[in-house]
Amino acid sequence: MDSAGNPASQPPVYESPLCAEELETESLPTAGQISPPPLRRGFSSPEASISAIDFSSPPPPSRALDYLANTIQKNQIGIDIDAIHEAPLGSSMAPAQLYSTTSGRLYHAGKILVVTVGLPARGKTHISVAMTRYLRWMGVKTQPFHLGDYRRKVLGPGAELPEDYFFVKAGASTVKLRQRVVAACKEDVYRFLEQEGGQVAIYDAVNPLAGGRINLKKEFEKRGIQTLFIESFCDDERLIEENVRNVKISSPDYIGWKPEDAVKDYLNRINSKIPHFETMSREENLNYIKMVNAGESLEINNCRMIGYLLNRIVFYLMNLHIKTHVTYFVRAGECNEEDLYRTDSSLSESGVSYAQRMTKALLAHRKKEHETFIAQGGNPDALKPLTIWTSTRRRTVETGQYFPESYKRKQRPQLSQLNPGDLEGTTIEEIVAKYPEEAIKHKADPYHHRYPRAESYHDLAQRLEPIILELEREKSDLLIIAHESVLRVLYGYLMASRTEDIPFLEFTRDEIVEIIPASYQNVARRVKISDAVVDEA
Amino acid sequence: MPRVTNGSVDGIQVEDVRIVVVMVGLPARGKSLIAQKIVRYLSWLSIYAKAFNVGSYRRQDNPAPNAEFFSTGNTQGEQLRKAAAEAAVADMIEWFENEGGVVAVLDATNSTKERRRWIAQKCDERGYEAMFVESVCDHEEIILGNILEVKTTSPDYKDMDPETAVLDFKKRITHYEAIYETITETDLTYVKLINVGSQVIINRIQDYLQSRIVYFLMNLHIKPRSIWLSRHGESEFNLSGRIGGDADLSARGRAYAQKLPELIRESIGDRKITLWTSTLKRTIQTAEHLPYPKLQWKGLDELDAGVCDGLTYKEIEEKYPEDFKARDDDKYNYRYRGGESYRDVVTRLEPIIMEMERNENIMVVTHQAVIRCIYAYFMNVPQDRSPWMEIPLHTVIKLTPKAYHTEEERFFANIPAVSTFRAKHTSAKMEGEVQPELVKTEGDVQVENS
Repeated sequence: MDSAGNPASQPPVYESPLCAEELETESLPTAGQISPPPLRRGFSSPEASISAIDFSSPPPPSRALDYLANTIQKNQIGIDIDAIHEAPLGSSMAPAQLYSTTSGRLYHAGKILVVTVGLPARGKTHISVAMTRYLRWMGVKTQPFHLGDYRRKVLGPGAELPEDYFFVKAGASTVKLRQRVVAACKEDVYRFLEQEGGQVAIYDAVNPLAGGRINLKKEFEKRGIQTLFIESFCDDERLIEENVRNVKISSPDYIGWKPEDAVKDYLNRINSKIPHFETMSREENLNYIKMVNAGESLEINNCRMIGYLLNRIVFYLMNLHIKTHVTYFVRAGECNEEDLYRTDSSLSESGVSYAQRMTKALLAHRKKEHETFIAQGGNPDALKPLTIWTSTRRRTVETGQYFPESYKRKQRPQLSQLNPGDLEGTTIEEIVAKYPEEAIKHKADPYHHRYPRAESYHDLAQRLEPIILELEREKSDLLIIAHESVLRVLYGYLMASRTEDIPFLEFTRDEIVEIIPASYQNVARRVKISDAVVDEA
Repeated sequence: MPRVTNGSVDGIQVEDVRIVVVMVGLPARGKSLIAQKIVRYLSWLSIYAKAFNVGSYRRQDNPAPNAEFFSTGNTQGEQLRKAAAEAAVADMIEWFENEGGVVAVLDATNSTKERRRWIAQKCDERGYEAMFVESVCDHEEIILGNILEVKTTSPDYKDMDPETAVLDFKKRITHYEAIYETITETDLTYVKLINVGSQVIINRIQDYLQSRIVYFLMNLHIKPRSIWLSRHGESEFNLSGRIGGDADLSARGRAYAQKLPELIRESIGDRKITLWTSTLKRTIQTAEHLPYPKLQWKGLDELDAGVCDGLTYKEIEEKYPEDFKARDDDKYNYRYRGGESYRDVVTRLEPIIMEMERNENIMVVTHQAVIRCIYAYFMNVPQDRSPWMEIPLHTVIKLTPKAYHTEEERFFANIPAVSTFRAKHTSAKMEGEVQPELVKTEGDVQVENS
């Protein structure tokens, strides 16, 4: 195979990052010229959320974990797919939303187009999706628009991509095609911001040239939409190579290649297609954030106008890593005494046995996953150690005690369970008898309702905000041992669950819930503790 | 306030982060203001924080040095300044180790790489995370404003002729400029705030608490401004002694609303201000006649009294005697059945406090408990006192944050109103009674420092 970047001999293009489309920011086509198929579908049940994902054209993999996320059997029982690419719901309050407005927009920030900037393999899609998750969690109606998705949609299934599609200099018909792709994407952006009550649209593309970025700003400014550019910039060769290496592991383009050759080839491809990338500078006079070397440093320029919302975004970006990790959720074991909130009792005999089985199962599962990963050509350096987070309550701490001593552990007071208030030690029947009115209110809105002295799930979500940011910060794989109420809220964040579904999410003591992050979406998988233990035996 | 650890499990501690925020910047760049604000913000959020001002250590031996003391050629001055820095760091270590400190702010110019390296090493030795915060500013106007404020408030220039003080201070700055090195040490954790947030550079943030501090800093500005606070005018519920609800204003409350524009006209002058109210009728009606752009915040609504909403204190005492007592014992943490505690209100006010820091001149018309929390933030009132502060009706409180303190003025409308204040361990015997002694003459202004 020719690795000099000659299009004729290149492997088939499988992923989206190489988008030169946004070099074209010229006129929009007349209405009706293109009617892209609907990208988003309604959410009605977990099953629907799975079926809403188009498995026939895999999402762009860009990191090692994408490989895992993409190779999981999609029809397998116990698999759930992140709802982050579904339309944010119109009227319902987001899990951590503090207030609502009639316009549906928050923080007096108006409509904002966030534009990603950066060469391929810089984590742009990851940043777009992660920001969407966080902003939606806060109640800001946010939607990512990946240009690569529009390329696939406009082209239609099975159609050949013109060979010069990703080149700056392309033939007339290809240029036209690219314009159609950009126009289809912008049309959806406008509809989202202007008709669907959206507040933040994230335009995920390379946007390599200053001129194009300035035009983009002017175009949106005319329609009263502010722009915020977020560049992911990398000048650390080692980081780039590592990134590319991880990307390539997951791409079928390079099966059978030596890693070094694959990296070289990939970098050549980027360089030949986007020969002139202009990093953002203050001279452009745009509102922008530059993330340098995967978040090691951040530069924020001219952004005060965006105000509080911008500061929230920066707050989040300070904690966001380009690399992510697997998160496991398990329940704490059962206690000796009754399951009382105030008593801080030790594990019962069955609690101890559960903790031991769970530990064994998780270790066996990780071992198996690692072996498979390496057997398929994965880079062993990409494997991460496991860190354990518990609350400060004895039962959660003790549930984690059977892991090898070398594992890092952290106790976090915010992880303690939903405070049951006056309901401590009562049964559902007793609640209904004691607080009939409260029980009715609770039934009407179990997420926001607060029993006397108790916390609501909404309170819990507020309290967990630091945990959510630290979860993004974490570099190791993470095991969270906590009460079911806490697991529900954290799962709701990672999987973009509907607010009203969160109080009903189930976590049993026979399962480890594994959240596998990918840049495009997260996948949750339930690993049976009994199965894994048997497998190993 | 010691950190809470769970001693029941050997070898495992809760997150045990200790951070030293090290200020960097030339004089008159708002460093002390930033330092004070960090401490105030963290304390308000129940994180134990303290500022160590190197200048005040130096002042113990050199109460009012002239600019020559700060000259690079003055070796004696340099030695004394180093000694002051050492003394401050020693006290800081003592505070971390023996008093359970979590975030210390080292307030000095720390203008050379050498000095910063020394501090970074001191922190490393003890396992503290050093985080440098540099304030860079080349807007002459802002610097001059800061100089004028420093000369009027800094203990260094007590009893000195103001013009001489300004000249001396400018000279002092020149001496610092000669040796000043902006942070470029890429291995350090730092935040560089350039020209009041027009550019911010953030490097190597190590943990969540650091990111939280940076987030707060990004919301700060150092332009002079004031905040006017008022409770809503007397409401129908106030008259009948009931708490909560969404009642209309009483006749006297409406009179207060009528008088409000005049009451603050002089104090506001021609400044551009924005008016914030809650979403409840009584604050919206109170602000009705004020000619400023208005915003309604759900987050400014009164503390939610849950099942007690709409009751009088007397009824609460009868119906929920234990609650009534529990609330008196720990009012800050007491959460009404189905409602909120002061702590909950602080949590929900946090984004609003952030927005207040970000904005310039604001007037806020809101409710008693909410004003107590906001006031406690700006005036550094501890949690055991803040829920018991008296915030009378028909009074405007003007707060002006300065580098070393917050100035307070009160404007009394001279319109009678009931008192809604209930002292600790008293029943609500005052309810419904007019308290004429609380009404002071218009223009009666009291100024006090925090």
